[in-house]
Amino acid sequence: MDETVKKYTTRREFFKQYKKKSRLQETWNRFLRNKLAVIGLFIIVFIMLAAVAAPLIANYDTDAIRINVPDRLQSPSAKHIFGTDEVGRDIMARIVHGARISLVVGCAAIAVALFIGGALGAIAGYSGGKIDDVIMRCMDVFLCLPDVLLALAIVAAFGTNLVNLTVAIGLAFTPKFSRVVRSAVMTVRGVEYVEAARTIGATNTQIITNHVLINCFGPIMVQVTLYVASAILTIAALSFIGLGIQAPIPEWGNMLASGRVYMRDHAYIVMAPGLAIFLTILSLNLLGDGLRDALDPRLK
Amino acid sequence: MEIKKINEQENTLEIKNLVIHYISDEEVVKAVNGVNIIIKAGKTLGLVGETGAGKTTTALSILNLVPEPQGKILSGEVLLEGRSVLSMSEHELEVMRGDKVAMIFQDPMTSLNPVHTVGHQIAESIEIHRKVSKHQALKQAKEMLELVGIPSERSNEYPYQFSGGMKQRVDIAIALACSPDLLIADEPTTALDVTIQAQVLKLINELRQKYHMSMLMITHDLGIVAEVCDEVSIAYAGRIIEHGTLEDIFDHMRHPYTKGLFGALPDIGVRRSELMPIKGLMPDPTNLPSGCPFHPRCDYVMEVCSQSLPENKWLSETHCVECHLYKDTNESML
Amino acid sequence: MFKFVVKRLIAMIPVVLAVTFVVFTIMWFVPGDPTNIILGNEWSEAASAKLKAELGLDQPFLVQFFHYTTNLVQGNFGMSYITRAPVAEQLMARFPNTLMVVAGAMLFCVGVGVPIGVYSGVRAYSLFSNFTMVVGLLGISFPIFWLGLLLILLFSVYLRWLPSSGLDDGFASLILPSLALGSNYMANIMRITRSSMLEVIRQDYIRTAKAKGVKARDVVVKHALQNSMMPTITVIGMDVGTLLGGVVLTETVFSIPGTGRLLVEAINKRDTPTVLGCLVIMAVCIAISNLMVDIVYAYVDPRIKAQYGGGKD
Repeated sequence: MDETVKKYTTRREFFKQYKKKSRLQETWNRFLRNKLAVIGLFIIVFIMLAAVAAPLIANYDTDAIRINVPDRLQSPSAKHIFGTDEVGRDIMARIVHGARISLVVGCAAIAVALFIGGALGAIAGYSGGKIDDVIMRCMDVFLCLPDVLLALAIVAAFGTNLVNLTVAIGLAFTPKFSRVVRSAVMTVRGVEYVEAARTIGATNTQIITNHVLINCFGPIMVQVTLYVASAILTIAALSFIGLGIQAPIPEWGNMLASGRVYMRDHAYIVMAPGLAIFLTILSLNLLGDGLRDALDPRLK
Repeated sequence: MEIKKINEQENTLEIKNLVIHYISDEEVVKAVNGVNIIIKAGKTLGLVGETGAGKTTTALSILNLVPEPQGKILSGEVLLEGRSVLSMSEHELEVMRGDKVAMIFQDPMTSLNPVHTVGHQIAESIEIHRKVSKHQALKQAKEMLELVGIPSERSNEYPYQFSGGMKQRVDIAIALACSPDLLIADEPTTALDVTIQAQVLKLINELRQKYHMSMLMITHDLGIVAEVCDEVSIAYAGRIIEHGTLEDIFDHMRHPYTKGLFGALPDIGVRRSELMPIKGLMPDPTNLPSGCPFHPRCDYVMEVCSQSLPENKWLSETHCVECHLYKDTNESML
Repeated sequence: MFKFVVKRLIAMIPVVLAVTFVVFTIMWFVPGDPTNIILGNEWSEAASAKLKAELGLDQPFLVQFFHYTTNLVQGNFGMSYITRAPVAEQLMARFPNTLMVVAGAMLFCVGVGVPIGVYSGVRAYSLFSNFTMVVGLLGISFPIFWLGLLLILLFSVYLRWLPSSGLDDGFASLILPSLALGSNYMANIMRITRSSMLEVIRQDYIRTAKAKGVKARDVVVKHALQNSMMPTITVIGMDVGTLLGGVVLTETVFSIPGTGRLLVEAINKRDTPTVLGCLVIMAVCIAISNLMVDIVYAYVDPRIKAQYGGGKD
């Protein structure tokens, strides 16, 4: 009997591999057919590469941070592709380093939200009943405040250093994530193969890891992508009003804020940072939408 | 409802060589491939076939409601009381739909608007086609409800408050509200339990006899055909492969597919005999077989069957069949 | 129906209370001694202790919260640490301005976004529809503070048609802020209305309506519209929160004296009562708009109305 069980387990795993691979292939193919999603992918990959290569493109201290007043407010030229800002720094250098900051903080914040919100949502979704109720009530309260305001409040209390900012934004997105994970878990929980797995004696943990999480993965990834876009926007917004990343650290939002005063005569100074924010968010949104459509073609 | 005077000579419906394909980026679904139908005044034609044979699409074309933009009518004519439906303007179509021809759809659960009362939905048809006041229309709608066996007090209720069988009756009431000349019933009882089926069928039969309507009854149930229809057309892969009166088809069936359909029915008299299903599956409308579409499943297949489409052969005044087996038959051989 | 509204109003109270609690708790962690800010140069140990007792700042957390809420329901938002004037006064002066901008944005979005969404849902495969989809996608990704700056550049600096700041020019000064604030919102509404309409148009009951001979325009207006409104209404209601978040940015860009800017200033100056006051008032607005969404739902969908005893009993 043990022999048969062992054989069956390995056989099942063999087929599981096969099923997973072909489903992944199918999803990827569908994704590739969506032109907008592919464009989004290209743009965000380009931005990520720029962020990674930032120190190679421009030195952080000399180009992005150091004040160089004689060179101030120069229009875009061959030497300074996007021009220089009000204290003479090369805008391109600041944009590229800013990409690092935005992407890292954005992803980190969402990681926090995913971890905490995801745990809460999974527990709520899987347990159901009283526990579900209590957790969701708590989360609902937070949903009464929009992300920006909630993040503002946390920042007001805890200060604007990078870590606190990341946590603040992460906490602001936690309730949203808990809802997403909860509904994903609840959808999967009811599916027949979970019942089937239970009948052959799989424990709760096994069910969660082998069945539930794998199937939640897709929808959750979609939301992660979309929320990273929101998080990056929130960071830029907070920095814009002075309660996010502070000068002289280059961040697209605070670049817009400080350049704003000179906007009338030097319009270029608000172009590059704004465009950077826009393209990042656009590409992530396209990517997220594309993933969503690729995972569930019925939604077309 | 008014009892109409019928011109016995006119054909209520004539469909000639209708070809409808659904064209999308990935594939072409050949739903209807040359259908010919004639319904005489006051008669009922049963359109029989399995799912995917193109029956609903044919029916929708009578109302010119084939879903666009994928559905394209590539050729053919649809003549309702002599007038060509496919060349009517939008306005003319709106006047015709509901008044001259009405349709009962397959799934009663989804064919009613959830945010309007049932009374309103029936009255709407009357308001559009008869110049009466809202109040009058509602009164007539209540009468229709009583006619289909629903207490008229319920006219203020919403669809979600009714069961499937009752919703189907509301559908019937809507369809009959303006006494159409042609009633198209698309599998009206498929979604219902057997006992309700019997009730609804009885109702449809009574009403059409009382008001002298012509009817196109689409079904895959031969029992229903026997009860309600005067003539039968058998559909397969978008073509009509056999047509005749009830007697022609039930007692003198010719096409191998028709034989298969009847053979697949359990015979209560001979309990011990095996059920004889037709081997194979309905052909994929995106990838139809060459020649006669039935040839891969046919027990009598010959070489010519995979090469060319059989022509329509009239075996008697009322009975025709499309099959290479009967190519050289003449009446005396039957 | 009336019972339904009252029930929901009552249900709103614990939510607002809870939000107030959350915000209060967060602000509890603001570092620094408020008496420093209030007394400024006149600070001394004795004065500080006296002030703390007066303001109840030496009480335990829950007691303070209790006092705060009891004051709140009486309309007393406490005293600003900076101006030493009642917070309520400042809110009264500033909040209407915020409301105007938000209302302007909502009007723009619903008035423009919904019809466009409906039309491109009905004419699903046309050029217009595809164009709408693209504009919608771009719109939801556009950062509103950048859009505000660009609008100022175009309409104030370059064309000189509209004012770039303040609310002095009446209606004209509302146009750019409303446009900027509403842009994300409108794009979202457009997309949701369109996709909802697409869904509904495919439904069987639309086919039934057409088969009855209902005119094409009536099919959309009388049959499809009501059924497709639910998601749109949800978005309109839920996004009030997003609008209030965005109004902070909009007021900053356009230098509008509203609650958003008040909030930012108060945070910078560590003026906790004012911060609390702004956040609470915004939370109340969001709760009210959620309630309105629920009421409109019940109105639009008879099934929900029936659940709350709105129909004939």
